[in-house]
Amino acid sequence: MTSAPIVFVVDDDPSVRSSLKFLLSTVGLHVESFESADTFLQKNPPDVPSCLVLDVRLPGLSGLDFQRELAARKISIPIVFLTGHGDIPMSVRAMKAGAVEFLTKPFRDQDLLDAVRIALERDRARREEDKEVMILQRRFDSLTSREREVISMVVAGMLNKQIADQLGTAESTVKVQRSRALEKMHAESLVDLVRMIEKLKGPAGAIR
Amino acid sequence: MDAHPRDPAVEVKHLQRCVSDLISVVALPAIWSGGEPSRIVHTLLDALLRMLQLDLIYVRLKETAGHAPIEMVRFAQSQEYKAQPHELGKVLESWLGADPQEWPPLTRNRLGDRDISIVPLGLGLQGEIGVIVTGSERADFPQQTERLILSVAANQASIGLQEAWLWSEQKRVANELDGRVAQRTTELAGANEELRKEITERKHAEDELKSSEEKHRVIVEAANDVVVSMNERGVILFANPATRRIFGYDPAEIVGRSMTMLMPEAMRKLHENGFNRYLDTGKRHVNWQGVEVTAQRKGGQEFPVEVSFGELTSDRHKVFTGFIRDISERKQAEDQLRESELNLQMTQAELARVSRLTTMGELAASIAHEVNQPLTAVINNASACLRLLANRNLENEVLRRALEGIIADGTRASAVLARIRSFIKKEPAEKNSLDINEVIQEVLALAGRELSENQVLVDQQLSTDLPVVLADRVQLQQVLLNLIMNGIEALNAVADRPRLLRVQSRIDESGDVLVAVSDSGTGFELGVDRVFTPFVTTKAKGMGMGLSISRSLVEGHGGRLWATPNSPHGAVFSFTLPATVESLS
Repeated sequence: MTSAPIVFVVDDDPSVRSSLKFLLSTVGLHVESFESADTFLQKNPPDVPSCLVLDVRLPGLSGLDFQRELAARKISIPIVFLTGHGDIPMSVRAMKAGAVEFLTKPFRDQDLLDAVRIALERDRARREEDKEVMILQRRFDSLTSREREVISMVVAGMLNKQIADQLGTAESTVKVQRSRALEKMHAESLVDLVRMIEKLKGPAGAIR
Repeated sequence: MDAHPRDPAVEVKHLQRCVSDLISVVALPAIWSGGEPSRIVHTLLDALLRMLQLDLIYVRLKETAGHAPIEMVRFAQSQEYKAQPHELGKVLESWLGADPQEWPPLTRNRLGDRDISIVPLGLGLQGEIGVIVTGSERADFPQQTERLILSVAANQASIGLQEAWLWSEQKRVANELDGRVAQRTTELAGANEELRKEITERKHAEDELKSSEEKHRVIVEAANDVVVSMNERGVILFANPATRRIFGYDPAEIVGRSMTMLMPEAMRKLHENGFNRYLDTGKRHVNWQGVEVTAQRKGGQEFPVEVSFGELTSDRHKVFTGFIRDISERKQAEDQLRESELNLQMTQAELARVSRLTTMGELAASIAHEVNQPLTAVINNASACLRLLANRNLENEVLRRALEGIIADGTRASAVLARIRSFIKKEPAEKNSLDINEVIQEVLALAGRELSENQVLVDQQLSTDLPVVLADRVQLQQVLLNLIMNGIEALNAVADRPRLLRVQSRIDESGDVLVAVSDSGTGFELGVDRVFTPFVTTKAKGMGMGLSISRSLVEGHGGRLWATPNSPHGAVFSFTLPATVESLS
């Protein structure tokens, strides 16, 4: 993660946009601002940790609609919501949909900076997680179908003998296949393998 | 007398005949009595012709007052010469001259183929009446007896004719008198009839007067109002029974006293001055019909009255009669009415204000956002500056830009608040000369956020040469904001076409300023008639008062507010305001 993170600001008010940019720049953050959700969507997001600072009440597509739209497009970016008059149901909806923070204008500068920091951290973590899952997935894809069968049974807690009985092979054969799969997955132990498979079953994983 | 001797017996016979003729002639007037002159002459001629055995006899009567001249002639049957009276007259004149009074007593002339003796005899003392001419072929004509008979007959005829004329004149006079009498009688009869009619009418009038006097007396006695008369000195001559009820005085108590006793002390001098001035100059300085003044009751209590008075001159003395109505209750009712109207106005004003607050409530989110945006920018900018200061990293140029931004945003926030404050302030309506386009711009600014959030496109079609209107700014803003908010609401449901709100200002046909707010929204769900009905609304949170209040505000400015469907979608709300004379330019 050597690239500098970017904060995207979406607000229809030019003075709010420029003041946010100014404030975030004081902590060394790079800011790109947009006057509407549509103009943001037209831009391809760069592959760097980033977050969105978004006014709930936007002309055109509202902030919450925008959040839904991003999810539908499988664009995962942490959002810090800003609102003129945040009501509780609105903030609950936003938070349930994965918002990092819901700030009522005007807010304390530290609250915004904290929220942005958390959002960027969350994005960085997600990006690392995504990268790890991608590697594990590549390793998992290199397994033979019999090796995938064996390790899924291992992870389910079955003994080698039980696996050999179920598959109708010799226990020694199962042992070989199992150690080869662990080797291919770069798993140091059975516990390590279980963690890897769990990760692959997660939201970003390929095993369902 | 004849010269030759006669037989005495013949002589006696002759005389007897003469006497008999004379008696006949003397008797003639008895026949003539009451007769016409022509008839007198007629009988005279016949009698003489026969008595004297004449060959002709001719009479000419001169013109007399009222009677035409008469000429008449008789011839003996044996006489061969015959002529009309005037022909014979001409013959005689040719013989004897033009004037019969000059004619000789006897001439003998040739008439026809015979000689004839002509004897004219004047009628009247100097022949002023006329002449009788007798003619006979006998040579001895006239004998003495014949002369006697002729002269007596002429005398008799003169008398008879004069009498006849006299009588005829009398008759004429009598007739004339009769005529006059008859005329006069007719006139008198007419006059009499007139008089009778007049008498009847007068009688009728007297009856009426009597009955109307009676009526008036009853009216005056029974009147609810005080009727009071005074003379030129201001002394009360009469007061009706209502005086007791209204003033507390028995009529007998005030008759003979000064009228001023019915007035409060403060008014007495004024009244006397005014009254004397009227008596001196004849000029009325106050209205005599229904003037409101203060009166005073017996106990000194003052109360409002309405007074009308009239003047009557009788025997060169003036009498003034006043009709005094106690208007205490009416005044009280008027005061109450005024008070309740004031209350109503205040209630309406309060209602209008509540409606404004409601509209503001609907706008609250937008307004909060509009105030928050600049405040957020201010705080962000200031916070950023503090951070840079803490790091000793603040460049002058950056600081200057940040401070400028802060000022601009602070000003912006305060402008929003000022707009709202003036809109919801509790101040009495004040009409000023306004440019309606300016008011439209202000309201579009108030609703700007709401419009943009609802993606409503505003199309302004504002005429630039409008006259000013005399109006209360806040009330006009309220009306316009209400119409615009309604438009936004109606457009909210629209997804398949542009959300267009058109605001138009122009001069209408009658020279008034017209403002129209039209939308392409859902139109009139409840029907165009119902939109102005209070408490009828299609909004979930609406009071249903906006349009009815807007209408009453516009009408309060002398204008009208109405709704029409827009084509093909939506509604148009239009209102007019009377233009004032002064122009904007």
